[in-house]
Amino acid sequence: MIGAREASGIVTLAWRGLRRRPTRTGLVIAGIAVAIFLVCTVDAMSSGVKRATRAAAGETALVVYRQNRFCPFTSQLPQSYEQDIRNIPGVSTVTPVKIVVSNCRASLDVVTFRGVPAEDFARDHATETSPEAMKAWLSRSDAALLGPELAARRRLVGGDRFTAAGVDAFVAGVIESDTPQDQSSAFVHLSFLQEQLKRGGTGTVVTQFDVRVTDPARLEEVATAIDAHFAADQSPTTTRAETAHVARAATDVIALVGFAELLGLAGLAAVFALVANAIVLSMRSREREVSILQTLGFTRLHLALLVVTEAVLLGGIGGVIGALASYFTIAFVRTAMTMEGVSIAVPPSAFIAVLGVGLAMALSLAAGIVPAIIASRQSIVAGFRS
Amino acid sequence: MATVEPIIRCSSLEKHYERGGETVRVLEKLDLTITRGQFVALMGPSGSGKTTLLNLLAGIDRPTAGGLVVDGQDITTLSRAALAHWRARSVGYIFQLYHLVPVLTAYENVELPLYVHNISRRERHRRVCEALESVSISDRHAHYPSQLSGGQEQRVAIARAIVTQPSLLLADEPTGDLDRASAAGIMELLGRLHREHGQTIVMVTHDPATAVHAQRTVHLDKGRLVEPHGVAS
Ligand SMILES: Nc1ncnc2c1ncn2[C@@H]1O[C@H](COP(=O)(O)OP(=O)(O)O)[C@@H](O)[C@H]1O
Ligand SMILES: [Mg+2]
Repeated sequence: MIGAREASGIVTLAWRGLRRRPTRTGLVIAGIAVAIFLVCTVDAMSSGVKRATRAAAGETALVVYRQNRFCPFTSQLPQSYEQDIRNIPGVSTVTPVKIVVSNCRASLDVVTFRGVPAEDFARDHATETSPEAMKAWLSRSDAALLGPELAARRRLVGGDRFTAAGVDAFVAGVIESDTPQDQSSAFVHLSFLQEQLKRGGTGTVVTQFDVRVTDPARLEEVATAIDAHFAADQSPTTTRAETAHVARAATDVIALVGFAELLGLAGLAAVFALVANAIVLSMRSREREVSILQTLGFTRLHLALLVVTEAVLLGGIGGVIGALASYFTIAFVRTAMTMEGVSIAVPPSAFIAVLGVGLAMALSLAAGIVPAIIASRQSIVAGFRS
Repeated sequence: MATVEPIIRCSSLEKHYERGGETVRVLEKLDLTITRGQFVALMGPSGSGKTTLLNLLAGIDRPTAGGLVVDGQDITTLSRAALAHWRARSVGYIFQLYHLVPVLTAYENVELPLYVHNISRRERHRRVCEALESVSISDRHAHYPSQLSGGQEQRVAIARAIVTQPSLLLADEPTGDLDRASAAGIMELLGRLHREHGQTIVMVTHDPATAVHAQRTVHLDKGRLVEPHGVAS
């Protein structure tokens, strides 16, 4: 095989070969970077969607919604249902929630106000909220605790005021939560939100009930029981697991992201084609150089490694640029896709960035193999005659 | 002169090419012995097989038949990889058209063959500087081939050929593309390498004025060797 000194010499030579052909190298790297940017960004969106909509084992959260209503403005349920739901076997906690969104359609910058009773919120979010923030929130009727994505996106901190959807609130603090639905939410007092939005119905109307069950295995059973209980009522309900609720609301977005994933695959194909094309053209114009190296004692293995190294360097550099650009774009833009009051956050992911670089390098390696074999098999004498 | 060991021994060497279903016999039943330390000029009309013979001696092409022992090695039996390793150690090749790698500087071109030798960076640097100095081109380390004159390019190519300290230096019309003054400089350089380091050189030329620098001249005609003025060794 080859020793460490030869290997480092081959990397040096490959790197020189690329650096001394800056236009060709720059164009190929730019193409790979754009493709990997696309791949990583689509992958981040797609993993955000999966995180929010895939049914998870051990899921205990249900959402009770008005039957056949698909927007927080039209889903109206009497707050008095709370007691009925609480009495259904298997239910652990019930939180009446009033949701007001700044935009009901699919959008990237939506604020979701969640009006919840103070005691329910204090119970459910104690570990995610600093004691000072919780105290500030409990002590003011117009206080809001913000989800991390929303706070980062609007650059809000405790003590600020902000207005959205006609609601003006005081920022008591920011909660630390990984839950997708919390990301773009502003938690306010239920009575405050009901008061602010008299026009949306009477004071005792809520949008939905967030229910926790005692046992994940009973999720379906409890959901059926709740809907059965209100079936004959004036406001019948539809109860779903939280992930299913998000998935239903996000149908359009899921379809779009599915299509975007195809674009991501096209991006990967582009990386392969770009590198293969660059290396094939490059080697075709360097037959003489290959013969020179062979004359100087480079073996087939040396030559094949040289070609493959050039390909992998191209893919690696382009991949790193594209993945970093995607990571920082996502981190800076802080996108959350929100529709019908549910949110899908798109968080930056170091794992996806590393995966993107790895894919770029692996595809480049694959693209370099055939040209490497061709170069290593070249007849010395024929190369000089070309 | 004491018994001198041969560095090259060709016996009944043959090289044929197939071209359009027809066999072109470039070299036929060629016998040639060259002793270590000799400077041999190989002459002959264009198309007589000079480059072909040199390529066989360098191990960059394979004979169709016959024996070929170079530097103590029967190179007809070596595998491709073994032949490459052998070339790296034993042969320095100088081309008529220099064949420097255009995207590498003079220094890097000379460094090139050392990448397949297991030597340290420091040693590599020392050898490259020494080689460039011995071809009087020390002030052009960072120049690319396109920034050098033909004579300077050929000097860099010679430095690249001798930097590995090969047993055998092969040159294919090394002055064929140069003006008179540069050609004289190159011949002076080859002569000096031969005199001062006892370097074995086989040089193809069709210029009798160039051939006078050699100790011995062999003529190749229609694939056969003719030696006009006896043997110097
Ligand atoms: N690869 C090849 N295929 C076919 N014919 C070749 C090949 N290489 C050389 N020849 C032929 O062999 C003959 C000798 O070529 P060459 O050794 O280059 O001659 P010289 O160097 O003496 O001018 C020429 O007729 C040439 O056309
Ligand atoms: Mg020739």
